[in-house]
Amino acid sequence: MELNWLQDILQKVECVGPVDIRRLPEDETWVVIPFDKVFDFVKYIMEDDSTWHLSAITGQDTGSQIELLYHFWLGHGLTLCTRLAYENPQIKSITALIPGAAFYEREAAEMLGIGFTELKDKSFLLLPDAWGKGWPLRKEKKEKHDD
Amino acid sequence: MMTKLKIPVGPHHPLLKEPISFLLTVEGERVLESSMRLGYVHRGIERLCQERTYVQAVHLIERICGICSHVHSTTYCHAVETLLGLEVPLRAHYIRALLCELERIHSHLLWLGVLAKNIGLDTVFMYTWRDREIVLDIMEDLSGGRVSHAINVIGGVKIDLDQKMMDIIIEKLEELAPKLTIALGLFENEPTVSLRTQGIGVITKEEATRHCVVGPIARASGVDIDVRRDVPRPPYDRLEFNVVTHTDGDVWARTLVRIMETRESHRLIQQIISQLPSGDIAVKAKRRVPPGEVVCRFEAPRGELFYYIRSDGSDQPARIKIRTPTIPALSTLPDQLREVNLADVPVILSGVDLCIACADR
Amino acid sequence: MMDIIADVMKSLFNLLIFPGFAFLLFCSWVFDWLDRKIIARFQGRVGPPWYQPVADFIKLLGKEDVMPIGSQTFVALLLPVISLASVLTASLYVPVAGYSALSFEGDFIVVLFLLSIPTLAYFLAGWVSVGVYSILGGNRSLLQYFSYEVPFMLALSGPAIMGGSWQIGQIVSVQNNLGWFIFFQPLGFVLALIGLIGKLKRDPLDIPKAKSEIVAGPLTEFTGRKLALWHMTINMQTVVGMFLLVSLFLGNAQALHDIFGVLVFIVKVLILLSLLSTASSLFARLRIDQLAGFAWKILVPLSLLQLAFIILMGV
Repeated sequence: MELNWLQDILQKVECVGPVDIRRLPEDETWVVIPFDKVFDFVKYIMEDDSTWHLSAITGQDTGSQIELLYHFWLGHGLTLCTRLAYENPQIKSITALIPGAAFYEREAAEMLGIGFTELKDKSFLLLPDAWGKGWPLRKEKKEKHDD
Repeated sequence: MMTKLKIPVGPHHPLLKEPISFLLTVEGERVLESSMRLGYVHRGIERLCQERTYVQAVHLIERICGICSHVHSTTYCHAVETLLGLEVPLRAHYIRALLCELERIHSHLLWLGVLAKNIGLDTVFMYTWRDREIVLDIMEDLSGGRVSHAINVIGGVKIDLDQKMMDIIIEKLEELAPKLTIALGLFENEPTVSLRTQGIGVITKEEATRHCVVGPIARASGVDIDVRRDVPRPPYDRLEFNVVTHTDGDVWARTLVRIMETRESHRLIQQIISQLPSGDIAVKAKRRVPPGEVVCRFEAPRGELFYYIRSDGSDQPARIKIRTPTIPALSTLPDQLREVNLADVPVILSGVDLCIACADR
Repeated sequence: MMDIIADVMKSLFNLLIFPGFAFLLFCSWVFDWLDRKIIARFQGRVGPPWYQPVADFIKLLGKEDVMPIGSQTFVALLLPVISLASVLTASLYVPVAGYSALSFEGDFIVVLFLLSIPTLAYFLAGWVSVGVYSILGGNRSLLQYFSYEVPFMLALSGPAIMGGSWQIGQIVSVQNNLGWFIFFQPLGFVLALIGLIGKLKRDPLDIPKAKSEIVAGPLTEFTGRKLALWHMTINMQTVVGMFLLVSLFLGNAQALHDIFGVLVFIVKVLILLSLLSTASSLFARLRIDQLAGFAWKILVPLSLLQLAFIILMGV
């Protein structure tokens, strides 16, 4: 992954300050960006590279905050990491750019309670309709649900 | 003006092998639109893995899906070995790849039979499932199980091949090769089959990219992706194979792509057996995994299988994210099931090669 | 007085034994078994044992008879009974090895009419059992009826025109002198075969009961005795249809008078059955709109061509 190419896009989305860029195993580049820059970043990736591919969107609870990872494949792997607060995490959905991201975002929403604005269909993907309160992948759940 | 009927397909239906629910709005014989509901076999595997050790999680991961169980455990074990910094012996990589390719042949033959049954051609269903028994016999001799193998451990594999086993594999696959040629000829030339599958469920190249489709569906629409070639790792970086693509993007193109991929897998297995290096089959792995993250991609029979694992230094994974290849295929279904004939619904659903257990986890 | 009793005994024998109910039931079971065996051999399987159709029938009789709320159970019971009655009545006029219980000028048209009643009853069965799959299957069965019936009737009119009569017995007798009609109108025979496959709703024209699309079509909600009656009707319709085709195209009037004739008749029927089973194994199911296009654009013109050829030849 060309570092210059990455720096170019970071400039285009006007990311200020030092950016955390790491190399992960199996040829993956890891970039941390603020959550309000994600939509534009994805837009510039799609414009710059015609053979982009979104592999997955992962949501995880690291103990201190909610992290959302966008995994891309552009000939080499690229993971965008963005961090959200515990209370009412909100982020703009990228389904306007990539319709296939809807399933991934719905799953992250139901498992971690992330709110995706502009996501049209917010119904449960995997959890049953009668699911009560609680997000299965959040660490604060101590009691077991029997379902 | 005919009345609109709402027809449920699933969760129980002769067409579906696994529970998934579609509600089709039908006017006469025309499907206007559809809605889909997943989650009937959601077992919460990602959450369950966080409460188990890495070694215990292998058994859970194998049971995500019946038909691609080996590639799931291979991807998981490969990811954990990368986090541990282990140097897995080359022989283990080759044995894992051998079973991956056998699984691919098995999956495609099964799918071909299901497609034939759903278009009313029971005879082809019986023939392909009989030929599939050849592959199942090989896998049973190898690992003891016809569908679920459990040969992966963190650090390598549990079984080894001797010369006699390798000869049996080559010999049995030689039996299979002419039958694949017959199947290819059938699907290319039989007029009732082409009437039912050509032009149905077309996905263009742009739609395939926008829906992040992977695997034979993407390749049949002209998108040239294959993890075996794109992510060079042993043994695929030393093996010669073609990535089969097609441009039509309909169910017929997907059928041809899958049949030809089966032949490519046969070629790959012959190369694997002839190039099998000597050596150990596993190394010892520590229980505690150092903190870190890893992204691992493998080519399952249905496409790119994606694993993301984060470790926090203990012997239990902090997060395992599994993205199976059926999920983006499912997201194309509402588009494919709009303004089609009711009789084309089985063909479209078969063309997508649903593996709901994978999608639900 | 004695001849009245003899008459009544003969009629009862015809109705109940031969070529009536018992004979047809026996034939339908034998044909069902042979059909399934041939298809199984095509598919590389062994096939069911000889008592399978009997076992299926007895099993169905013992099952619970339920229907969804809102369906009209009395009509649903009446429909298979009416279909069975019409098929049995038709069987009285269709010659078996040259012998038919009753016969009059015009019975050919009556038989065709009687054999169409089960199709309409099938459609109504889908209508009265409340259920989406049943209604869809009923619609499809009517659409299919409009597709295959015209070429079927045209193709069957060929032997009637050539035989110079609307009496099946007469058509069969003419073939004693002229030879089997299949040699004069092979195209008509093929068209009649296709029409028969459509009428019996066998593969590849089993569109109304396509298992992977609409579960079981109009009969989805039928269980127990009613389903057993429907299966009996469909199997007997197969038998009567095949006897009709053998009489019209491969006819031989004196067959029942010697054992050799009977054997020849059995062989003819078996050959026809194998043709039907082979067609079932070889093709994929068509879509209903493809069937309609195929029927009206190809089958109907061909049948008209065949008719024109016969008329010109007769002149």
